[in-house]
Amino acid sequence: MIDVRDLVKRWGDKEAVSHVSFTVGRGEIVGFLGPNGAGKSTTLRMITGYLRPSAGEVFLDGRSVSQDSKAVRAMIGYLPENNPLYEDLRVREYLEFRAALKGIPRPARAKRIQDVLEACEVTEVADRIVGTCSKGYRQRVGLSDALLANPPLLILDEPTVGLDPGQVVHTRHLIKQLAADHTVILSTHILPEVEAICSRTLILHQGRLLFDGTVADLHRGLSGAGHVLCGVKAARELAQTCIASVPGVSQTVFLEEGGGVARFRLTAPGGTEVPEALFRACAQANLPLVELTTEKVSLEEAFLSITTRESAQEVLV
Amino acid sequence: MRAVLAIAKKEILSFFFTPMAYIVVASFLVMNGFIFSVIVAALSQPGSFSASPMAIFFGGTMFFWIYMILMAPVVTMRLGAEERKSGTLETLMTAPVSDVEVVAGKYLGALALYGAIWLPTLLYGWILSRFSPVDWGPVWTGYLGVVVVGMFFLAVGLFTSFASRNQVVAAIMAFGVLVLLITLSILSILATDPFWKGVLEYVDLWGAMQNFARGMVDSRQLVYCLSGTGLFLALAYQALQARRWA
Repeated sequence: MIDVRDLVKRWGDKEAVSHVSFTVGRGEIVGFLGPNGAGKSTTLRMITGYLRPSAGEVFLDGRSVSQDSKAVRAMIGYLPENNPLYEDLRVREYLEFRAALKGIPRPARAKRIQDVLEACEVTEVADRIVGTCSKGYRQRVGLSDALLANPPLLILDEPTVGLDPGQVVHTRHLIKQLAADHTVILSTHILPEVEAICSRTLILHQGRLLFDGTVADLHRGLSGAGHVLCGVKAARELAQTCIASVPGVSQTVFLEEGGGVARFRLTAPGGTEVPEALFRACAQANLPLVELTTEKVSLEEAFLSITTRESAQEVLV
Repeated sequence: MRAVLAIAKKEILSFFFTPMAYIVVASFLVMNGFIFSVIVAALSQPGSFSASPMAIFFGGTMFFWIYMILMAPVVTMRLGAEERKSGTLETLMTAPVSDVEVVAGKYLGALALYGAIWLPTLLYGWILSRFSPVDWGPVWTGYLGVVVVGMFFLAVGLFTSFASRNQVVAAIMAFGVLVLLITLSILSILATDPFWKGVLEYVDLWGAMQNFARGMVDSRQLVYCLSGTGLFLALAYQALQARRWA
């Protein structure tokens, strides 16, 4: 569906987006993740044709965004960052204007507008002036606009920013529903959002694409890291020697000793077999293993470890 | 074309949602009504020279130009600047609408507003016709002048509005350009060198308007206004295009 090839955006000598390439298949729901200023919005703006790339090219269903801009734009429903709306129009007037711009034939407009108003649950403010609507409603008005022409691709730039928790849940739910028959790209700097909605994640940092994979991949710990916490009822040195014999442990950190139990935190780069191996090692050495907990790497940890690495090559999967 | 009309319609709607619209229209009508009545009163004095009130109304006073210089920027200043400031330009420029259609729609909207503001002045002619016979030819050519000069001025305003993200800055820039255009008229009167006088006559809007109001349609002056319109619309288009590279 989307084919981004070696996209670059320069402002002066600063590269806001630096040689980004990826593809998105039909029906995928992709989370664009990165800290503020990572180049997420700039990349999305180049995909929607708002900005021209300094180099590189974007194709949608084989059509070039720069050569065939109008046709490509007709395929996209776009919710820009900060959801800009005409404050002085009524919600329905705004959607009528947008429907006319998007070439929805006049007889079909009223029906279509009613449909999106209902889908986004904004019917009750349809005749209110946009400027007087709450942030939650405004966001859904923006989403209604993106859905108007029923485009195959939805691009949502930080769709849940500034919403209260209830609205966030509602908006995520809505996006998940839409994903059933749309391809969706959404950008966010909120990790749980990606976890809640997306099947795939692209991590952008300082204009470079650092990670492209599933959320599960991200969890599996790119910097390696699953952790095992254990307590062994033995002297510290004895326990440590035993742990050292366990394969797959990259690092052992002593935490504390108390009540005859020595506690350690083990770093286990890929293996789920470490806890079992640890159990067997302790049993063989006749050291009672009294505590054993596995600790998943949080998405935050994985994200930080990716974005704080120097070289993109190190972490690309 | 549908997009052009949709944008024009939206601009007209939005204009009348601002209090400014009513201030512009009301002050325009009050002041013009006042000027018109002064002209009629002056011409009704015994011993006054004989002239058509409408000819003086269109071409004979500086008030016409003061309004034009102030009104055109006020009508156009929102068009591009507001979209940029609020960010809605992004939704507009990512809709399946070409940049030419955006410029055309905005411009058409501005022209319609401008026309709507002038429309009530048709009453002046009607009022005159109730008291004395009116020679309608020069009245219509006067309105032709209002239209072509308006087209020129609104194109200037549209350009400056796309060139700035601040409405006030856009209006002031347009004001500056329009004052310059009128200054050319004054220079053409002051010029003594025959070569420069000849050149400046081509760009003498004040003189052009006086001719229109007298019923004389000079194609050179039409061409000047229309090419000025074309130039500034092209600049407006370029200013909009520049957003895609920013």
